[in-house]
Amino acid sequence: MQEYIIRRILYTIMTIFAVATILFFIFRVMPGDPTAQVISPALDEAAQARLKEAFGLDKPLIVQYVLYLKNLVTLNWGRSYTTQHEVFGILKYRFWNTIFLMGAAMSFTLVVGAGLGMVMAWKRGSALDVGSTVSALVLQSAPPFVTGILFLMILSYRLDLFPTGGMATPGMRLATGIQMLFSKDFLHHLVLPTITTAFYYLATPMLIMRDSMLEVTGSDFIELAQAKGLSPNRVMMKHAARNALLPVFTVSSVLIGFALGGQVIVEQVFSWPGMGQLMVEAASSHDYPVAQATFLLLAALVIFLNLISDISYCYLDPRISVGGGKH
Amino acid sequence: MNERKIGRREFMKLTGGIIGASMIAGPAAVFAAPKPGAQVDAMKITTATATMDPVRPEVARVCADAFKQIGWEVKADPIDYNLNVQKVIMEHDYDMWFVMLSGASIRIDPNVFIYQVHHSSQYKKGGYNWYGLNDPEIDKVALAQQQEMDIEKRREIVFKAQELCHEAQALTVVAYMQMTTVYRSDRIKNVVPMLGEGTGSFWTDINMEVVQGDGYVRTARPTPLKMLNPVAAKDTTEFMELRMIYDPLFRVGPDGNMVPWAAESYKVVDQLTLDLNIRKGMLWHDGKPLTAEDVKFTFDYCNQWKHPFFYQILKRVESVEITGPHSVRIKLAESYAPFIPNLLGGMFLIPKHVWQDIPEKVDVSDPLNYPNEKPIGSGPFKLDYWDRGREFKVSAFKEHFNPPKCAGIIGIVYGSHDAVAAAIEKGECDRNRYILKPSLLLDLQKVPNVVAKGYPNHGFYSLGYHTRRPPLNDPAFRKAVAHVIPKELIIEAILSGLADPGGSVIAPANKFWHNPSVQSFPEDINKAKKILADAGYTWKSGKLHYPA
Repeated sequence: MQEYIIRRILYTIMTIFAVATILFFIFRVMPGDPTAQVISPALDEAAQARLKEAFGLDKPLIVQYVLYLKNLVTLNWGRSYTTQHEVFGILKYRFWNTIFLMGAAMSFTLVVGAGLGMVMAWKRGSALDVGSTVSALVLQSAPPFVTGILFLMILSYRLDLFPTGGMATPGMRLATGIQMLFSKDFLHHLVLPTITTAFYYLATPMLIMRDSMLEVTGSDFIELAQAKGLSPNRVMMKHAARNALLPVFTVSSVLIGFALGGQVIVEQVFSWPGMGQLMVEAASSHDYPVAQATFLLLAALVIFLNLISDISYCYLDPRISVGGGKH
Repeated sequence: MNERKIGRREFMKLTGGIIGASMIAGPAAVFAAPKPGAQVDAMKITTATATMDPVRPEVARVCADAFKQIGWEVKADPIDYNLNVQKVIMEHDYDMWFVMLSGASIRIDPNVFIYQVHHSSQYKKGGYNWYGLNDPEIDKVALAQQQEMDIEKRREIVFKAQELCHEAQALTVVAYMQMTTVYRSDRIKNVVPMLGEGTGSFWTDINMEVVQGDGYVRTARPTPLKMLNPVAAKDTTEFMELRMIYDPLFRVGPDGNMVPWAAESYKVVDQLTLDLNIRKGMLWHDGKPLTAEDVKFTFDYCNQWKHPFFYQILKRVESVEITGPHSVRIKLAESYAPFIPNLLGGMFLIPKHVWQDIPEKVDVSDPLNYPNEKPIGSGPFKLDYWDRGREFKVSAFKEHFNPPKCAGIIGIVYGSHDAVAAAIEKGECDRNRYILKPSLLLDLQKVPNVVAKGYPNHGFYSLGYHTRRPPLNDPAFRKAVAHVIPKELIIEAILSGLADPGGSVIAPANKFWHNPSVQSFPEDINKAKKILADAGYTWKSGKLHYPA
């Protein structure tokens, strides 16, 4: 077991290293002069040379790469080419904004998805079952930039129930930390992006839960529980759902990974100052250090989530055995 | 997820193609002279994709279609904008380029459009004469206007230059697009527009008054504030917010003329010497007085650290001498007429007592990497806070000699033009900064209490020709082509009527410098055919052929 965990952690580190390397080179294999991607060609040559010097782009590629790796490990991620702020500081601020939004959206998706899936399986073939399946599939097929804009059009522009975007009302400074999380203004702004994201991913946990529930309800121990005379609700919640949750748990880490990548669009539509918006900004203003760090951080997050789910799985499901161990 | 796949595939194709092409062609591709009597070569109009600007591929297609009327095969070729820049500006590997030369305030002075765009010395990697134009007569006047310090005499030369440039048609100005901006008339009044910037300008910032609310004007922006370092500012959008906090010696006025600002008055002593009187009583935001010391320090500091935006002009400054507590004498190494608008009208004064310690006493080795989070300027606004990626707030600096009429400005970032429009429609914001997409402007015109208009602009959409590639190397051919471009159709159908037909490279909106005798070529196919026939071109079964 321990050996397995150590191996998985080593693989994870190697993957992150590979991603970092690919990221470094991918920006630099763009056609033409690599620095032309960073420094606007509309500047004259002297100005370009000056900026290259300030950003360290006048050094040979291999030197830049070694510096990049060194800085990566020492968490000294350099400064943004556009704002001159330390990349780490920028990321810290943006990272939490994304995590708040993702946290809200994913909790919603998983709780509502799993809950609905459970009830649907229990009442298989009912109007609820069919209706939920169809609507979840429709929502899954509608990309977030469509649903997001529809929500904005109807709930914000027409009915004026929600703000058009951002994290707070213009001119209202956000309190920090916990206070912000529970401020009415922030929660009001959180609603639309949360349900946009949640609706898009809802179908996955819901349908998996439903399938897994159906499988479990056919088992002997459920019949036994029913035969014992337990109430149907108790059987559904305590006996069936508990066991059916495992696959939902597995898929949730993959789902969160996907959602983190898809966050770019939601943040853009709702002007949410998170990592996704930062990625777009950094990429379009040729801000290497910030772009590299955001991509890397997101990649690392997804890889890390996979690691967690792999490892925790062995603890959660005693039937899983790793490293060829025998029961 | 799909986008990513397409991206990768395109990317592979792209890189492969580029590497292949550069191996075959090499940088010095030589074009064969046209075969006399042969059919005129088919060509492409390079332009950006609709993602960047929906107008460009549409116009390129309309032009390509129109050129078929003179028997010339042309195709529109919309590609990623970065590749446009790479192919055209860096490699000069293109036939025709449809592009917008935007109305930045630095382009109000005619030097950019006359000298940088047309002078043969600017045909170099990264230069603005990507047309490859090499016309000795234009070179002569372009240089002369740059060196003439007397503004009236310079104007005459600029008029002459416009005629010559129009005759040469290295580029055809297709349309001067208007600067489309919006504001809420129930929130702010006394809204002063500026040439090229509409109601998002500095002059709007300091003149507008708040009708209702807390005195702060909420300004919506489609892009975030980028930076606060006046020494590292490298493109005009970065100057747009810094100029509220920092003062230059002069400012470009609402109509494009120079307005003395931190310099109260000036005197041209001779072609190479300029005396400036610094306004008395000016204060930095920390309360210390602004003196000639600071002015000299600014020049020296920007020169020493090679300010990326001004370094080229600063090299022409020989010395800055302090002649009194509030006066300096600037000596130039060579006469350079755009000196006042493009250097003194742009470079921000920085306080000596702050910047003399940078970078020594901060944790960066180069001031270009300094974030300057608490900027101390002398401008009419001082910074309250900047929540990165979200919003920033500036408040009026009451001690300024021209204090703003509002309590301050809150700049709010939205994800797109559509979100900006929605915020103004809902009343979350009072006005926008920069241009708003014309289609959104037309929608906002229907909203009560919203003023959505196009304002005069000196920037334009243009079709540029590679003047070293036949048939585009023939001025007569370029002139004929200019008569075929359907300007009216483009303006009405693609630009929503928010533009004016293009003529001179110095737009009519730029009143002082525009030569009114340079008129737009009307769309006239018969005239185009006559020009071609007179130059010896012939048609065989409807296809255009080179002169025999």
